[in-house]
Amino acid sequence: MARMGKSLGLAVGVALTLGQVMAADPLRVASKVDTEGALLGNMLIALLEDAGYPVENKLQLGPTNIVRTALLEGEIDLYPEYTGNGAFFSNTTDDKAWKDAEAGYRKVRDWDREKNGIVWLEPAPANNTWAIAVKQSLAEKNDLSSMADFSQWVNDGGGVKLAASAEFVESQAALPSFQEAYGFTLSQDQLLVLSGGNTAATIRAAAEGTSGTNAAMVYGTDGAIKPAGLKVMEDTQGVQMVYEPTVAMREQVLEANPQLPELFEPVFASLDRETLQELNSKIQVDGLPAKQVARDYLEANGFLD
Amino acid sequence: MTVNAIPTGDQARRLVANRVLLTLWVAALLGCVWLPFAAMAPNRLVSGEAINLAAALTTWQAATLALLALLLALAALARPLSAEQGLRLTLAVAPLTLLLTLYALGDYAARALVEASPVARVSQGAAFWVLVFCTLLMIVDAFQRLRAPLWVGGAYGLALAAAIAGLFASGQFNALSILREYFNIQDAFIAQLLTHLRLVALALTPALAIGLPLGLLAHRRPALRGSLFGTLNFFQTIPSIALFALLVAPLSALGDSFPLLRALGIKGIGAAPAIIALIMYSLLPVVRNTHAGFAGVAAATLEAARGMGMTRRQVLWRVEIPLALPVILSGLRIVTVQAIGLTVVAALIGAGGLGAFVFQGLGQYAIDLVLLGAVPTIALAVIADFLLQILVAISRPAGGR
Repeated sequence: MARMGKSLGLAVGVALTLGQVMAADPLRVASKVDTEGALLGNMLIALLEDAGYPVENKLQLGPTNIVRTALLEGEIDLYPEYTGNGAFFSNTTDDKAWKDAEAGYRKVRDWDREKNGIVWLEPAPANNTWAIAVKQSLAEKNDLSSMADFSQWVNDGGGVKLAASAEFVESQAALPSFQEAYGFTLSQDQLLVLSGGNTAATIRAAAEGTSGTNAAMVYGTDGAIKPAGLKVMEDTQGVQMVYEPTVAMREQVLEANPQLPELFEPVFASLDRETLQELNSKIQVDGLPAKQVARDYLEANGFLD
Repeated sequence: MTVNAIPTGDQARRLVANRVLLTLWVAALLGCVWLPFAAMAPNRLVSGEAINLAAALTTWQAATLALLALLLALAALARPLSAEQGLRLTLAVAPLTLLLTLYALGDYAARALVEASPVARVSQGAAFWVLVFCTLLMIVDAFQRLRAPLWVGGAYGLALAAAIAGLFASGQFNALSILREYFNIQDAFIAQLLTHLRLVALALTPALAIGLPLGLLAHRRPALRGSLFGTLNFFQTIPSIALFALLVAPLSALGDSFPLLRALGIKGIGAAPAIIALIMYSLLPVVRNTHAGFAGVAAATLEAARGMGMTRRQVLWRVEIPLALPVILSGLRIVTVQAIGLTVVAALIGAGGLGAFVFQGLGQYAIDLVLLGAVPTIALAVIADFLLQILVAISRPAGGR
C-alpha cells in the first residue's frame, strides 16, 4: 500500500510539474476573481506583451487569500492588490496608518518587502474602500451627500434598509466603525444581509428595491453605482481604511526585470476613481470583455506603442 | 348518484395512455401561461422586463407550436393511436418542439435587439426552461417505455445534439445574453473545459487505483469493513467547499517544509488540493461498489470454480472480477458524475475548470456567465453518465441480461 501511495503521488506530482517547468520562463500574471481584478490584470498583460515580455495568463485565479498565497509561494509573479489589504496580511488592522493613503502604502510596502520579499509599486489615486450608497431619488429628497447626513437621516427615523454582506456588517473595520464614528445604529430590520454577498448583489438589490432595500454597501470604484442610480455617501471623517490598487510582485521578478515599475506606474497614476468606475462599468454593466476594455483604455491614452 | 358516474381508474386509463406525457404536457402549458419566456434588460446588471411566450413568438411560430402541442396531446391519449404509436409520435414531435423553442428564443432576441441600445440584453426566462426540460423528459420517458436498445437512444441523442449544434453554428443564438458572455470568454472556455476534464481524470485514476484494492480488502477481511467504511463515510460528509479550503493550509505547510514535495506539485493552492479532495470524495462509492460486486458473486459459483480445480488467482480473475464488474462500473459511473460536479468548487482554490465562470458570474451578478460554467458541467455529467451506462451494459455477462 505504502509503495503504491508513493508512486501515485509521484505520478500526480510529475503530471502537475510538467505544466510548471514549461511555464517557468514567462511572467505569470494573476488577478482576483472580481471585475476590477479582470480589468487591471488585463492591463498588466497588455502592457507586458506590448513591451515584449512573454506572459502566462493566470487571471481571475481566485479570491484574495488564494491569490496572495500563490504570490507568497511563488506560484505567480505579480497581481493587482489593494494597499488596505496590507492591514490583514500584516495583522495590524488597528493601526491608524491604514486610514491614510500615503502612510498605508508606505507601511505595506516596507513591511511586505522586508518580511516576504514582495514589492508594492506606487498605487493608483483611487480608493476602492467600503462605502454606503443610497438611492439617488432618496438622497435628493433628503439632501444626503455625506455619512454625517446619512447618520442624521437615520437618527431622525429615515426609513433606511441597507443591503450588505455579512462581512461588512460584522467586520469591526466596516459598518461598526461607521456607526461608531457617525453616531447611528442600524437594527437587524434595517439590514438585508446577503451572506457572501458582493457589491454586485447588494447594488442590484438596492436598485431594484429587493425586500424593501434602498441603500447598499458598495466599493468606491464600483462600476455599477452610477448606472444603478445610487449615490455614495462621502466618508468625510476618513473612517474606512484606504484601499488603493497597485501591483504586488515578487522581489526576484523585479530584480530580473527592473523596468517593470516604469511600465506600470504611469498607467496606475492615471487611474482615478471616476476612471475606474467608468471602466468597471463597461465590463460589469455594458458587458464588454475585460481584455478589450483594458486594451482600449491603454491605447486611447497612449500607453501602448 | 351511482358509483359508476365517477370515472374509475380503469376508465381514466382507457382515456389516457401515457400519464407521464400528459403530466409533462400540462406542466409545459402552465409554464407557458404563467411564466415569462424571455427577459429583456437595458443592461447586464439589472433584471429584465418579463416577456411572455405570446409576445415573443411570431404568428407562424405560435401556430406551429400549437400544432405540435396538439400532436403531443394526441400521443398521450389512448385513442385513436395505440400506445406504441403514441410513443413513436412523441419521439418525432417532442424534439421538434424543443428545436422550435430554441429557435424562437434566438429569433426573438435578434428581433428585440434591433432597436435597443447596444448594451441591452435578452435572456431566457422560466417558461423557456420549462419547455426545454419537459420536452427532454418526454423523450427520455418515451425511450424508457419503448425499451429501445441503448444504441438507438444514443444515435437519437446524437442526432438531436447535432441539430442543436447546427442551430448554434448558424448564429441563431448569437443575440442572446448567454452567447454574448460566451464571446467574452471564448479564449478561456476551451482551456477551462480541458482543465476541468484533466482534474477529473487526475482524481479518478488514483481513486480507482486505491479504491479497487480497498474494496477487495473489505470483502476479504470483514473485520476491517466497519472502520474502513466509517472513515470513507466521514470524508463524504465534509462539505466540499470546507474540504477544499481545509486542505490549503496543511498542503502549504507540507510544501514549505519539504522542497522536494513542492517541486512535485504538492502545494496549498491549485490542482493538488483539488485533486486530493476529489480523491477523498471518490473513494467511498468505488470501495463500496467494489465490495458489493464481490459480495454479490454467488457462493455456489465460487464452489464450482474451486471444484474445477482453479487456483485462488484464477478464481479472482476469471470468476469473481468478471461477475463483479457491472457493479464496480456502476460505482465508477457514480464517482465520475460526482467528480465532474464537485470540480466546479475547485475554481475557488485556484485550480481552474468550468467553476471559474460560475464564480466570475456570481461575483458580477451575471447569471448568464454562471450558466456558461454550469450548463457545460451538466452536459459533461450527462454524457459521462450515458457512456458509462453503455459500459455497464456491455460488462454484464451474457446469461445475466
